[in-house]
Amino acid sequence: MYNRKIRGPLIEGNKTLSQITNDVSAPMELKQGTWWFIAFGISSLAALFGFYAIYITVTKGIGTWGVNNSVGWGWEIINFVWWIGIGHAGTAFSIFLLILRQRWRTSINRAAEAMTVLAVMSAAIFPALHMGRVWLAFYIFPYPNTRGPLWVNFNSPLFWDFAAITAYLLISASFWYLGTLPDFATIRDRTTSKIKKAVYGFFSLGWTGSSRQWIRFESLSFILGGIAAVLVVSVHSIVATDFAVGVEPGWHTTLFPPYFVVGAIFSGFAMVMTLMVIIRRIYNFKDYITDNHMDAIARILVFISLIMGTAYATEIFIAWYSGNEYEMFTFFRNRITGDYTIQFWGMIICNALIPQLFWFRKIRRNWVGLLIVSLFINLGMWFERYNIVITSLTKDFLPSNWVSYKPTIIDIGVYVGTIGIFVCGVLLFIRYIPMMAISELKSVARIGDKKED
Amino acid sequence: MKKQRKKPGEIEDLAAGNNGNIDGNHDDQLLEMFDADFLKKNSSRRDFFKVFGFSFASAAILASCKRPVQNAIPYIIHPQEIIPGKSLYYATSFYDGHEYSGILVKTRDGRPIKIEGNALSAFNGEGTSARVQASVLSLYDDARLKNPAADNSPVSWDAVDKHILDVLARINSDGGEIVLLSSTIISPSTIKLIKEFGAGFKNFKWVQYDAVSYSAILEANSVCFGKSVVPDYNFRNASLVVSINADFLGTWVAPVHFIPGYVSRRKLDNGEKDMLRHIHFESGMSLTGSNADERKKIKPSEEKTLLADLYNRIAEKTGALTYPGPKFKDDLSDLADNLIAAKGKSIVLSGTNNVDIQIIVNGINSLLDNYTQCISLDNNINIASGIDSTMDNLVSELSAGKVKALFMYNVNPVYDYPDSQKFLSGLKNTELTVNMAVSLNETVGKGKYECPVHHYLESWDDSEIIPGQVSLSQPCINPLFNTRSFQDSLLKWSGSSILYNDYLKMNWENVFFPLSGMSDFRTFWNKSLGNGVFNYKVSGNKPYQFKKEAFSRAMISSGNTTSAGYEVIISESIALGTGMHANNPWLMELPDPVSRQCWENVAAISVHDAELLKIETGDLIKVTEGLIIPAFIQPGQAEGTISVALGYGHSNSGPVCKDIGVNLYPFIRISGGNRVFGFNTDSPENTLKKTILALTQVHSSMEGRPIVRDTGFSKYKNDPSSGNEFHKEFESTHKSLYPEVKHAGFHWGLAIDLNSCIGCNSCVIACQAENNIPVVGKEEVIRRRIMHWIKIDRYYSDTPENPKVYFQPLTCQHCDNAPCENVCPVSATNHSSEGLNQVTYNRCIGTKYCINNCPYKVRRFNWYRYTNNKAFDFNTVSDLGKMVLNPDVTVRERGVVEKCSFCVQRIQEKKLQAKLENRTLNDYEIKTACMQACPSQAIVFGNLNDKDSKVSRLFEDPRCYHLLEELHTLPNTGYLTKVWNDEKQNS
Amino acid sequence: MTRSFKIGIFDGEEKFLSSVKLLQEQEFSIFDVFTPYPVHEIFHLLKRKSKLPTAAYLFGLFGIIATLAFLYYTSVIDWPIVYGGKPFNSFPSFIVVTIVVTILTVTIASLAAFSARSKLFPGRDNTVFDTRATDDKFVIVVITDISDKSRADKAGSLMKENGAVEVYDKEFENIKS
Repeated sequence: MYNRKIRGPLIEGNKTLSQITNDVSAPMELKQGTWWFIAFGISSLAALFGFYAIYITVTKGIGTWGVNNSVGWGWEIINFVWWIGIGHAGTAFSIFLLILRQRWRTSINRAAEAMTVLAVMSAAIFPALHMGRVWLAFYIFPYPNTRGPLWVNFNSPLFWDFAAITAYLLISASFWYLGTLPDFATIRDRTTSKIKKAVYGFFSLGWTGSSRQWIRFESLSFILGGIAAVLVVSVHSIVATDFAVGVEPGWHTTLFPPYFVVGAIFSGFAMVMTLMVIIRRIYNFKDYITDNHMDAIARILVFISLIMGTAYATEIFIAWYSGNEYEMFTFFRNRITGDYTIQFWGMIICNALIPQLFWFRKIRRNWVGLLIVSLFINLGMWFERYNIVITSLTKDFLPSNWVSYKPTIIDIGVYVGTIGIFVCGVLLFIRYIPMMAISELKSVARIGDKKED
Repeated sequence: MKKQRKKPGEIEDLAAGNNGNIDGNHDDQLLEMFDADFLKKNSSRRDFFKVFGFSFASAAILASCKRPVQNAIPYIIHPQEIIPGKSLYYATSFYDGHEYSGILVKTRDGRPIKIEGNALSAFNGEGTSARVQASVLSLYDDARLKNPAADNSPVSWDAVDKHILDVLARINSDGGEIVLLSSTIISPSTIKLIKEFGAGFKNFKWVQYDAVSYSAILEANSVCFGKSVVPDYNFRNASLVVSINADFLGTWVAPVHFIPGYVSRRKLDNGEKDMLRHIHFESGMSLTGSNADERKKIKPSEEKTLLADLYNRIAEKTGALTYPGPKFKDDLSDLADNLIAAKGKSIVLSGTNNVDIQIIVNGINSLLDNYTQCISLDNNINIASGIDSTMDNLVSELSAGKVKALFMYNVNPVYDYPDSQKFLSGLKNTELTVNMAVSLNETVGKGKYECPVHHYLESWDDSEIIPGQVSLSQPCINPLFNTRSFQDSLLKWSGSSILYNDYLKMNWENVFFPLSGMSDFRTFWNKSLGNGVFNYKVSGNKPYQFKKEAFSRAMISSGNTTSAGYEVIISESIALGTGMHANNPWLMELPDPVSRQCWENVAAISVHDAELLKIETGDLIKVTEGLIIPAFIQPGQAEGTISVALGYGHSNSGPVCKDIGVNLYPFIRISGGNRVFGFNTDSPENTLKKTILALTQVHSSMEGRPIVRDTGFSKYKNDPSSGNEFHKEFESTHKSLYPEVKHAGFHWGLAIDLNSCIGCNSCVIACQAENNIPVVGKEEVIRRRIMHWIKIDRYYSDTPENPKVYFQPLTCQHCDNAPCENVCPVSATNHSSEGLNQVTYNRCIGTKYCINNCPYKVRRFNWYRYTNNKAFDFNTVSDLGKMVLNPDVTVRERGVVEKCSFCVQRIQEKKLQAKLENRTLNDYEIKTACMQACPSQAIVFGNLNDKDSKVSRLFEDPRCYHLLEELHTLPNTGYLTKVWNDEKQNS
Repeated sequence: MTRSFKIGIFDGEEKFLSSVKLLQEQEFSIFDVFTPYPVHEIFHLLKRKSKLPTAAYLFGLFGIIATLAFLYYTSVIDWPIVYGGKPFNSFPSFIVVTIVVTILTVTIASLAAFSARSKLFPGRDNTVFDTRATDDKFVIVVITDISDKSRADKAGSLMKENGAVEVYDKEFENIKS
């Protein structure tokens, strides 16, 4: 199944099992460096800014945003899609690799899944906030009510979206939590502090590591993995239908679902890489998150970026080939040229061109290179969503409705806020939850040694 | 409807029970809360509470009642025609001193809430202008004057009257001059009254004064025909119209009167075989110019040459006497030929306030004997009878201190008299100055006494807009404030004790009743009050002799006065007109049809000049000393000219219009005794400061998309579907995945004839009034959040130097395959069984997905709370202003989507009515607000399932197409192609 | 009742496995084994099976049918509404919701089943035989009979010989596996 000749051992430095336990739980037991507190301070400030913006939005109205009669969706939806995309990494990562039995996932999936949960939470803020009357958000639940009962419109992609996001949040969260059970137990059993024992004891749900638990644990993770894999694909396909079902030029295309899914995984993996590069440097996890891991992710990224490039090309080609004047206008006169060239070419360069650097082994194995490229990809994916949402709406069918779009400080505030919330979450995760699946690490500790092959 | 039109005048009689309409038994007059057989039942606990509650309520009402006023309606005795929750229509007439319309006023529980055209009024029919539609809001304006005042402190009427009478007596006794300065008055009774009032004094003068005057026309006609009138232009008989600088569809004289005639000769929906042709010369891009088949650009200074040359050419060809004079820059022989070909069926008119020019125009018209059927001096339009020179004389008399007492009625010279300083100083020299105005304006408080008058919806009056067309005005609501009608004041001050409505009645009894040929005055009175109008035959139509000598003088003097620099044209704006209604936020936010810009006035400058002077739209430019104003690059503006609109720049006319825009009246000059609406200046300079204009449309090209489809008349005659080929193609190819939904019973549809629509925008205000649409203010308009449910898109084609202009009313298309419905997650918007695309405000959570997915972008969002919100403190937000709200339409909450509903409340009302009367609905019975207000009847609403309905026939018309039909949204709104008349009449 | 156990601690997977085999040959009844990570051989040796996959499949089946039925009822029978000219039963747009809801059903139901079967739930008492099992040790727990002391010792020595780093007895009040 696994050939060390090609990739080398999964975990370097021939660790014993207890070493693994110690190494991984170190960040939770040792005192955090000052950098941690600085980072946490900054990100909570950002979060505060976000909460202020949210407060203004809810009390004053959507009018405080840059949206208008023609552009009904602005930054908020861009950021929503962006975050959801990032939210795809974790689950995609661990699940696809899990069902493909790619065991090198073990050192990364925990962090990736945590990232997923946080990203999806950040994403979920936007659609809620985006409602003109958020206090009536419960109307979207199809529950028997005294209004008829008036159910909801099951034809609406927004409803699909709502269902998908909810499901995705629940499932990825539970999948992630399931994985943490044995590790919580580990900490419960090694810690000396009473409180920790109680808390982790509570969250470990009484895990003992008996063979009965292990076998059910494994089969459950495979079941969840299997169906969640379907979900990962469907969620972003559904997000894509928000646009693909619309009539707007540049939206109404069957290409969107696959294009969005791939794009999501793209941005997600990029974000994983960003985090991993930083974490492994700070906590010196080089033995667990090896250069090989980074290399593997980089290879996946370069491959996906080629797919993205193809998707962009296809879109433009179809616009031209269909001969639809509205499509033609949107792509050739409002994206490639026009007021939004920066976003368009930014997207092309960041997503299709820059990742090609990963063809070079040097860059794949240089943490600075990895970091920079991954950041560019995240930026590029934001540009992509900007293109889709804004350019189509600003100039659609009737020229009399054409407008330009500009975000307000409140728009920016909400976005910065979600980033703050996300970073806060990551920092807390680092501090209180094992960053890597200890038990899984142990199971692969021997792989690549003389014994197994 | 006719039955509903009752006059409150009768109600007092009913209350007194002194006429035969009701016997002594007053059961039927109890409040609605008692059921019919209430009295027969022996009372239950429930009944007790009814009585209990009722008596308390009535006690409260009584307690809060003021001293019973004439025509008050005491609800204790329930007037038979007032049914709570049911609309009541009163026929009355709108006249503000500049504009006249015969109207119906829709009142709800005693509140006028909507103005509608009176079909019986021959002058304007059902059409109304935006200003008339908006006038109902001015009734509830907080800026109205609420009390009589002396030296700006409120006093009682008695005190005012007493003092005024004393002073008058004294002044009169020593023969001091007493002057009444009023706007043009077209009320026969009032004129009679004024004459009588004046007769009471030794030295009395009555001066009529118009902010925008037509005195040149008056003088020209008096010298040419000996009759100082504004003639009536009968476009119905015309087949060629040549207009120069006259915006007769927008602002000139009486657009609502001209539009129906003009449009009726251009309509093609009954397969007409001929069509009126319209050639227009102008400097600025006016509404009229944008509707003309041929539009030519001239500078104001070239007009005289043009006309003189045109006259000579026609004279040549008709063998009449020609005069020496310079030739016009272009060759006019072709135009002359056309005019001669249309001899007797053409109209030449000019909007320039210059006697010589008007005389030449008269000359041309009489040469083409257009006075036989197209221009009528007998049925003249009694509007704007003010002569500029008399006003000027008055002002100099004032400043000379000759005038002892000055009464002002419905005038605002401090704002709109060019030399307002001189006028003000004159006021100071006057011993007694009494100002009678409806609402706050610049002149208010400048004189000694303020005697506020009723709003026209509160007052009795009559008007004779055209000899033989008399109409009545009646109060539709009790006076809201402590005001008194102008006429009552006059009566008071002339020592008479009778009230004006009795005076009016008597006058009608003496003057018009005999003409009616009816036996009983009461029935005559009720009838004319019910109809609102009374027409009688005018004697005359004696041929007028055209006096040559004045004419030759005008022709000889036709020197060409071209100037080096730029020529500035000052004109009325479509929305605000002369500016007397500037405090009306509906009008303030009404975009100009051509520039699509609102909330201030701008300097329209030509594309070429803008490049030359490096000016961009929004740059503040200094046109001349004291005139710094944002520039607006206007395609079609004549090079070397700049157009600016009047009506803005108020300093003291209420909060809405305070310091918005620039007041142009001070820049009006007086030459040859007439006002010149314009001046010359050397090139304007760019102050390099920028402002953002409130533009409601920024892109003007159709980008080659089949949005407004047009064709030439010659092509149309061969193939009616010409220009509409795309529709055929679509019809032949369109397929549907799902079977199309069938609508049993009704299937509502709306047809808009782009050939009839002239883009006057009155439908926009009608819709706003009907549907409680909020005003959002300049900032929000700039952010493209205007709330209008119907808007009139304007597109340009051809060259930016002189483009063709297209107007397209755009509102919800009520698609049967509506993209918006499909995407709403909470099913707040869905399709009714009658084909309406409906929004349930209570259900909407405001995801705005429908806004995005509407290809027409006609959905509007409540970005903020627009009611009870200090940030949007426009008239409709105040407690008083809220009285204008239509109780049939929900006021939308913050965060919900709204849009055109095809006036579903009107549909329901009529359906119920038909049901009660157990009959089917007739075609044209249901009228949407836009359809009703449209003076050109371009909009037709009806049932598509009924194959004989007008709308179905229009949908069958080969000219009919659907907007963006290629998207297969299957709209229930159809457009009919625009047809330009490109056919020259060749002799 | 009190039950007594013989506990053997191993630090190598191999020795641990072989001694489990030995103990089974000697027909000792192994209460359970505790490992830091899943060891698949053990599942075969102790014949551990999980019926979760079957259960999950049934949950899924239920999910699909229930969802479709609900959608049909609400949008065709209970309150049919026309959206954008679509028929009441616009099946294609029901598919999406069905997929998502089914997945959600399966997940939640299987989680419930998991926690029920393997008795993992919040507030569960955290009694473990040997805390090192969650770190790096492999623990075998043999059920011994208090009356028959010698057999218990035999199990102990057997494990010792087979490389157990530690062997000791432990008694528990009413313990459930």
